Amino acid sequence: MIEIDPIATEVIGSALSSIVEEMGEALIKASHSTNIKERRDCSTALFDLDGNTLCQAEHIPVHLGSFLGLIAHIRKRHNQADIRPGDVFCGNDAYEGGGTHLPDIVLAEPIFVDGAMTAWAVNLAHHADFADRGHAHIYQEGLRIPPIRLYKAGVLQTDVQELILLNCQVPKERLSDFRAQMAANRLGVQRFQALCGKYGRATILAAGAALLDYAERKMRAGIAAIPDGVYRFADRYDCPEIDGEMDLSCEITVRGDAMHLHFEAPPQVRAGLNMTMTALLSTVYYAIKMVVDPTILPNAGLARPLTVSAPEGSIVNCVHPAAVNGRLSLCQRIVDLILGALAEAVPDRVIAACNGACFSITFAGHQPADNRLWVYLETIGGGSGARFNKDGLDGVHVHMTNTSNLPVEALELEYPLTLMRYELVDGSGGAGQYRGGMAIRRVYRANHDCRVRVDGARLLSPPWGLFGGLPGGRAGIAVHGGAQAFVRGNGALRAGETIEVVTGGSGGYGPPAARAPAAITRDIAEGAIDAAVARAVYGPAIGS
Amino acid sequence: MAWRIGVDSGGTFTDVCLFDDATGRVAVWKVSSTPADPSEGIARGVAEGLAEVGAAAADVGYFGHGTTVATNALIQHRGVKTGLITTDGFRDLLEIGRQKRPDLYDMQADKPPTLVSRDLRLEVAERLRHDGSVEIPLDEAAVRRAVRRLREAGVEAVAICFLYGFVRSDHEQTAARILAEEFPAAFASISHAVAPEFREFERLSTTVVNAYLGPIMRRYIGRLAERLTALGLTATPHLTQSNGGVIGFEQAARLPVRTVLSGPSTGVVGAQAIGRAVGFADLIAFDMGGTSTDVALLAGGACRLTGEAVVHGYPIKAPMLDIHTVGAGGGSIAFVDNGGLLKVGPRSAGADPGPVCYAKGNDEATVTDANVVLGTLNPAFLLGGRMPVRHDLAVAAIDRLAAVVGMERMATASGILSVVTANMARAIRVISVQRGHDPRDYTLMAFGGAGPLHAARLARELEIRRILVPRTPGILCAMGLLLTDLRADFAVTRLAVLAPAALDGLRAAFATLDTMAAEWFAAEGIAPADRAIARTVDMRYAGQNYELPIAVPDGPIDAATLPVLAERFAEAHRRLYGFVAEEDPVQLVTFRVEASGAVPKATFAAQPDAGPDAAGALIGTRAVWLAETGGFVSCPVYDRDRLRSGNCFAGPAIVEQMDATTVVPPGWTARVEPFLNLLLEVA
Repeated sequence: MIEIDPIATEVIGSALSSIVEEMGEALIKASHSTNIKERRDCSTALFDLDGNTLCQAEHIPVHLGSFLGLIAHIRKRHNQADIRPGDVFCGNDAYEGGGTHLPDIVLAEPIFVDGAMTAWAVNLAHHADFADRGHAHIYQEGLRIPPIRLYKAGVLQTDVQELILLNCQVPKERLSDFRAQMAANRLGVQRFQALCGKYGRATILAAGAALLDYAERKMRAGIAAIPDGVYRFADRYDCPEIDGEMDLSCEITVRGDAMHLHFEAPPQVRAGLNMTMTALLSTVYYAIKMVVDPTILPNAGLARPLTVSAPEGSIVNCVHPAAVNGRLSLCQRIVDLILGALAEAVPDRVIAACNGACFSITFAGHQPADNRLWVYLETIGGGSGARFNKDGLDGVHVHMTNTSNLPVEALELEYPLTLMRYELVDGSGGAGQYRGGMAIRRVYRANHDCRVRVDGARLLSPPWGLFGGLPGGRAGIAVHGGAQAFVRGNGALRAGETIEVVTGGSGGYGPPAARAPAAITRDIAEGAIDAAVARAVYGPAIGS
Repeated sequence: MAWRIGVDSGGTFTDVCLFDDATGRVAVWKVSSTPADPSEGIARGVAEGLAEVGAAAADVGYFGHGTTVATNALIQHRGVKTGLITTDGFRDLLEIGRQKRPDLYDMQADKPPTLVSRDLRLEVAERLRHDGSVEIPLDEAAVRRAVRRLREAGVEAVAICFLYGFVRSDHEQTAARILAEEFPAAFASISHAVAPEFREFERLSTTVVNAYLGPIMRRYIGRLAERLTALGLTATPHLTQSNGGVIGFEQAARLPVRTVLSGPSTGVVGAQAIGRAVGFADLIAFDMGGTSTDVALLAGGACRLTGEAVVHGYPIKAPMLDIHTVGAGGGSIAFVDNGGLLKVGPRSAGADPGPVCYAKGNDEATVTDANVVLGTLNPAFLLGGRMPVRHDLAVAAIDRLAAVVGMERMATASGILSVVTANMARAIRVISVQRGHDPRDYTLMAFGGAGPLHAARLARELEIRRILVPRTPGILCAMGLLLTDLRADFAVTRLAVLAPAALDGLRAAFATLDTMAAEWFAAEGIAPADRAIARTVDMRYAGQNYELPIAVPDGPIDAATLPVLAERFAEAHRRLYGFVAEEDPVQLVTFRVEASGAVPKATFAAQPDAGPDAAGALIGTRAVWLAETGGFVSCPVYDRDRLRSGNCFAGPAIVEQMDATTVVPPGWTARVEPFLNLLLEVA
């Protein structure tokens, strides 16, 4: 291995970031499905041959580890000596492909430099398909694809592609998105080869290794700054798919510059809420990076000081054949658990509970003009927890996700839906010295009959506050205009009927008595809190 | 009417560039800016500049101005109290935006403040559908109540934005009429007039920013016009917009949102004009200052226009030159982070306290300090002797950093430049490779105080083989103002599939836009011979969400136009994304007309060739540490002011002038071309 100094490492790191960013731009701009082009539910990365992420342009943190296991699964299934330039592997499986749920389809292309396989260009796109299916086990959730060749030495394997497309409800979109994914990887391969041409293959590989070490050092430095100890937190989980609530807890042991996280959760269930270990790892990496140092590079080095355990076969470390499609809401709650536990150790580096879900709503129906199947998925943000020094953010995506909404003017053009309201929910931000962020209300009207599924959480228990801050508002789902009530998040709307989704708010931070009077006055004027409620929470002198 | 004046008013200095049409003489006058009221500094600068060249205000035939007033008001949130009237159910859209948080991992990050507080965002019943049909008619009484409430609340400006206002404007027009009746003093900003384009949040944001800045710009322009009149100036003053063109003060006061990038866009125009004079059409403009670097790509002499950008956190839909900014400048601070890597910027020591070598209290090494240590910058003084330099302090600062990274002093200083160069190269890759252009096909035009100093390293990083350093790199923006055409852009969104049935819509859209352009030409008093029109349409495959701007052929629009558009679109798509989806329908989205009115511009005269011998400009030698040799090499130092057309010399060499230093590395040659620009090429 050649020696590399801190300056060359920084310069090459900058070039690698440029490459993955450019791959991401190409993927988003050339794609067709709203979920990628508008909501940016995709990520691009470069991996080394051992499967370590060298550099990633993730648009949402759940992707931080979403292809962690991919290269290992490719190697398990294929002899490296048989891999040729122009081979492209395609996979999505949560158990045999290193993924976290089936709609995230990954394309991986090996990068050859001077005839030697040197690295991988990889990208993941969330294909909004596999809709209106069951979630009793993974076989109901869509087509399971292990990492197999979609292209062999540059030649499209049309039979493989046809098999995949036949299993999709909107094959035309899938085809276009695959093309965009191919274009992104092609760019990655060319740019990486050019970079090796400039600095030499060995220098690039040395810089890659140095960047992993660098992320590890930063992670260790951050953990070392947290007081040693064992920190615990417990919470309850609910969602439309299950009756009642489930107990979740975590125990975090900080010792020196390393950290161990252990989670306890009930056995996996016949519902789509389960998380694979890969999803749990992504969640932990996100939460600890956020608490310790947001600037740590998103590469594999950051994982080295962390160990994670959870009972095998539980909802947070599920095994085949558990269904996993709706894992994200549970991931969100794992972040809350970690922050709740670390609040005692580093109160100024955590925030109160966020909305605790990734509310998603999926519509599926037939286009009135030509009877073509249409599927539309979107996710809805909510409150972000109050911080130690300021209010939480209103109406945003939190933690593991950060996808954009689709403009109303695009939504209504493409699908037979009308958006009636899109607003912040009064009173949903938990009171406190610093107020929690407000939830979102979104009301849709179906203009033609369609089926609808809503995933979410925090319908029963409200998002908690910290250090005396009060809880935020709970989530809710309601139908109007004569529609039948939904069962386990599933239902149908006839033309003219509406569905209203209210997401969770978020918790406050610090006792309400400490809130600045001017801030309370502003909350009342802006309708963030009702005047009568404000008097009850903050004292009778308020607003008088 | 011989003199033409360009004034670039920045945060620190106001540059006044005077050009005598009769003699071709160029004079530059620099005064300190007056941030509280920039018009004061401008008036003083103009008065002093005119006195310096011995001209009277009445001799000025043209006055062009680039300003940061709108940008600064937006950055510092010093706009006016603003109200909003919008569609029932959507008042919080302004705050929710795209529902994304500002940073994935930093929980302390905040969204930019919402420019209209929630109690001043009022909803009225009305709803249009995407095809322009009315689902709920406008409740006019509710509009009237809303306007009264906003008036009583003391707002100065009112934004009106309804869903689908870009498809059908009558609801917005009715609301605007009621606003004018009830509250004539308010600055009115109406979405269909400000940004009649698809995507409600970005249109709303643009309309609100326009309202928020409106009264500020109106007052500023009023004050400046008054001062200029008081000086005796009779020429119509003009302001640069973000699209690089200038408009009259009246227009600028109505659409201030179009001037938020006024400052950097004039630099690009300056670069474009010089490129044209020298005969280089493909340029990368590289403007490196004290805290930031602006880069832009000019292909075929034109800079790409973007219809939308996020400016200081606020999405703005307005025609803007595609300029990319990165926090890297001479004052950028170098530091070692807790992971042990050397980082440079975006934190900057600025002009005050400035680099360590200024001895004004900063002790963190900057890019300028690295240059002083390397000898690429004069180790004794800068700014032609006006700024003394403490070489010893710069050395000490670099040594402190070197100790932390565990490297030699000179390798550390050189490393700082490598890191800042890598940051700037990333910015250039965004505007070149990410847009389908290979930087190796371009000439790097280096300007700004620090551009010529770093151009060679940057060129090497990007494998660019030619650099052009303008005669006066420090005042290219003010110069650009003397070279700019009048320009206005008009756009309208009308979604249609590219098929024979779209022809009528295409004709109608351009007819509307042509009428708007004709009215503007008349209002600006542009003679028919000086008028020019360029038409483009933003196109995409049905189902995509990002459009590509495609030029519409000149002449009448007929059946033959459609296949040309299809072909041009396919070509652009293939170049950018590497594929064409032949079976997919293609959509026309937004139609645009760029109207320009030629103004008589400053023209520079070519200088007679004085032969290759540059010895007359040689003022000494100095030891410069070169990355190529890994050690100090004695380099000739030339005085830029004494270099004559045709002079040639080989690197390594240093060229000094009052406001910039140019490095000519080994393996490169420098030549002074007839307009006295310095051309650096790989030998």
